[in-house]
Amino acid sequence: MTMNRRDFLKVGAGASGSLMLSLSLPGCSGMPTGYKEETGEWKPDAWLEITNTDEIHFTLARVEMGQGTYTGLTTLIAEELEVDPEAITPRFAPVAPEYRNPLYKLQLTGGSTSISTSWEPLRMAGASARQMLILAAARVWNVDADKCTARQGRVFHPNGLDSMRYGQLVELASKEIIRGDVALKPASEWKYIGKQRGRLDARAKSTGTAVYGIDVELPGMVYSVVSRPPQHGGRVKAFNESEVRAMLGVLDVFEIERGVAIVADKYWRARKAQNALKVEWDNLDAFSLSTSEVFDSYRKAADEDRGKSERSEGDYEGAVKKAGRVFEAEYSQPYLAHSTLEPMNATAWYKGDSIEVWAPTQAPDLGRIAAARVTDLSPSDVTIHTTFIGGGFGRRLTQDFIEEAAAVAYRVKQPVKLIWSREEDTQHDLYRPAMLHRMQAGIEAGELSGWHHQIVGPQLLDWYVRNAAPAQYPWAPKFMYDTLGKVGLLAEGIATPKDMSAIEGAIEYPYNVDNIDIRHTHTDPGVPVTFWRSVGYSHNGFAVETFMDELAHEVGEDPYRFRRNLLADQPRHLEVLDRAVRLADWDTPVAEGRGRGIALFKSFGTFVAQVVEAGVENGVIKVYRVTCAVDCGQVVNPRIVQDQIEGGIIFGLTAALYGEITFEGGRVQQSNFHDTQLMRQYERPEVTVDIVPSTEGPTGVGEPGVPPVIPALGNALFALTGKRQRTLPLKADA
Amino acid sequence: MALSLTVNGEQRSLDVEGDTPLLWVLRDELGLKGTKFGCGVGLCGACTVHLNGQPVRSCSTPVEVATGGEVTTIEGLAEEGQLHALQKAWIAEGVPQCGYCQSGQIMSAAHLLATNPAPARDDIVAAMTGNLCRCGTYSRIIAAVESVAGSSLAYDASVSGEGN
Repeated sequence: MTMNRRDFLKVGAGASGSLMLSLSLPGCSGMPTGYKEETGEWKPDAWLEITNTDEIHFTLARVEMGQGTYTGLTTLIAEELEVDPEAITPRFAPVAPEYRNPLYKLQLTGGSTSISTSWEPLRMAGASARQMLILAAARVWNVDADKCTARQGRVFHPNGLDSMRYGQLVELASKEIIRGDVALKPASEWKYIGKQRGRLDARAKSTGTAVYGIDVELPGMVYSVVSRPPQHGGRVKAFNESEVRAMLGVLDVFEIERGVAIVADKYWRARKAQNALKVEWDNLDAFSLSTSEVFDSYRKAADEDRGKSERSEGDYEGAVKKAGRVFEAEYSQPYLAHSTLEPMNATAWYKGDSIEVWAPTQAPDLGRIAAARVTDLSPSDVTIHTTFIGGGFGRRLTQDFIEEAAAVAYRVKQPVKLIWSREEDTQHDLYRPAMLHRMQAGIEAGELSGWHHQIVGPQLLDWYVRNAAPAQYPWAPKFMYDTLGKVGLLAEGIATPKDMSAIEGAIEYPYNVDNIDIRHTHTDPGVPVTFWRSVGYSHNGFAVETFMDELAHEVGEDPYRFRRNLLADQPRHLEVLDRAVRLADWDTPVAEGRGRGIALFKSFGTFVAQVVEAGVENGVIKVYRVTCAVDCGQVVNPRIVQDQIEGGIIFGLTAALYGEITFEGGRVQQSNFHDTQLMRQYERPEVTVDIVPSTEGPTGVGEPGVPPVIPALGNALFALTGKRQRTLPLKADA
Repeated sequence: MALSLTVNGEQRSLDVEGDTPLLWVLRDELGLKGTKFGCGVGLCGACTVHLNGQPVRSCSTPVEVATGGEVTTIEGLAEEGQLHALQKAWIAEGVPQCGYCQSGQIMSAAHLLATNPAPARDDIVAAMTGNLCRCGTYSRIIAAVESVAGSSLAYDASVSGEGN
């Protein structure tokens, strides 16, 4: 983000004559700021509130789903405010324009952007409040403000002895005016940024007191479950309403857009009633393909349409004609489920002229659209309360669970909690799309002379703009929603940005090859798809880094040196590659029965190289060791960086070893953790993460650990067995 | 049906169907939301509680099975206002990411230490393998358990009534 400090730091007189300081992104602000005499609270801006009793509240506009915003963003504000992060109480943000993610113009958490987009604004918010407190104290003491200092929640007199608590100063500080820029602390004075720190949410999450969406409790609350069509797009034709209605505890049974809802006084009674529910589905317009037919359709599309050019350099066609050898490979990668441990759920309370929703959502303002869509209300009538989130990974960017809960609440007119079963969560997910990749390379005199990559499959915004486009125009009337969604689709770059979801990671191919041709054949078989931890990078990483490994083998070079020789002008790529290799003892022979594989991939601005050591034991793939080097610019919390990268590695290995959602006649074949397995404790490899020291701007770490580990494991198995696997998940007996 | 059980040292009487999973009784009848629903069939371990000193999957344990029994949940692990040694270790080690599985992880670890105060690495891995973590906090879990294992704190946990 490039933003002049003056652009977003707006200081002005508030309605009550108190100072209003808002870090505003373009757009109107409804956020009341200033000093409230009756409560003794000072809200200098949209992010901070300091009370006269020294309580400090921070509004956390990026949800906490494990990735560490609760700690990381609080650390940014604490550093400049000169208080211990532990002294700050974060609160989850309501929906407001101030809290939009500036990259997406939507209030959503995704794309590993929380730290990078908050890095300047939150430090500015903390520094501005600190400066106003100092000005207030200087005025009281009648001394030069420049000679006063702030630390540990106090402003100190130039004599170094006298001090005042922030709480004593809030009323006065609210009347101070900052002229010009506020100086941010130099890195040499940081107390918290870049230092090892625990997690501010660890206590609540170790005592069972953290409140997730599923834990929300309201007076008179009832429970709902929904039976959805087993084939996507199926419609309810008929169901045995009277039989279900007679079941113990059942309050209502009715059709909603997404299926048949049962409402009961207790969750278990709703589930038992669901067992008795028989729905006849109209599958005329429903998705009815099997997985093999999906890939057939991809191959057909790829044959018929070489795709839209997304990057072209030199003369690929000419190069490949001249090349002594042309090498080709096709990779296929499956649909993948998110499998968040907290299943989809939402609680809603329709009150006639408004609706309140409590939900573990990554995109609360899209949640407002979803709730408005299925009720007689406008988005401004919808209040979304965000909770702690039991895993997101992109799944909760789509608001189908809020839509369902709102539809049910609209009918029952009392608080209702909707919970998906694990089976429903697995079978009605929106998946990481299955993708096909066709690769071709020209080799001339032992050198790579041309690189061709044809990506075949859907793109995600086709499935996402339905609620995202209206959320960007919250004042638009509801009858416009579908039009906005379509405009979002048709007019790339206007309502929605260019859809990078299929091609990201492929078009940034970093290796120094003269002739490059990268294309996307857009084809969508009709399976609901959405963002999945590392999104397009997840499948492009496998295609690019497996093919690089194949080419190294073709020209008879060491796969590390082959890559290295093509990265002469990519210092950050080289640095992580060299570090990972050193850490993995690449040049010492691997133990008997093991293979070593390498991969390098930049995603979300972060550079990651990984070396995997793996083998096959008793007919199953065993991953022994993963060594990883990461360059994510300036580190805010090294421990969280390490944990996110390691977590990404486990997530990627789960996909590489087990990840696969398959369809038979349009129906998902998997249902629970016996057939959508997650890596378990006993399978955990030894993981080492080396973080490159850097003063570059911070970049994300939630996702970048995922992409390289999948090809690195495949490459390790090739090194061991000499057999190349071009289809995921990987097999022990391929 | 009317039934009674002891939860975190307190006698509780309930009127629920006997086939209701203990999980939903704990969460919705008794308001103990620290125990989580993950899969409903005992595959993920998020719902792990202790029943008569043994770890059970409350999502697939009918409440009638627990009738007259003693149940300990994550909320009952602290003693006299002092967090369990494992909870302290979890905080010090910064184990949780999303945190959703961690109640179950801690309950599994607490049972391990109550029965084996000084487990070897393999014992810990074996005891914790039934608990899934989608965020991949596995190495910190091991580090946290090992930081308690064999220490006097672990001994305190075993004499406080766990696993008798």
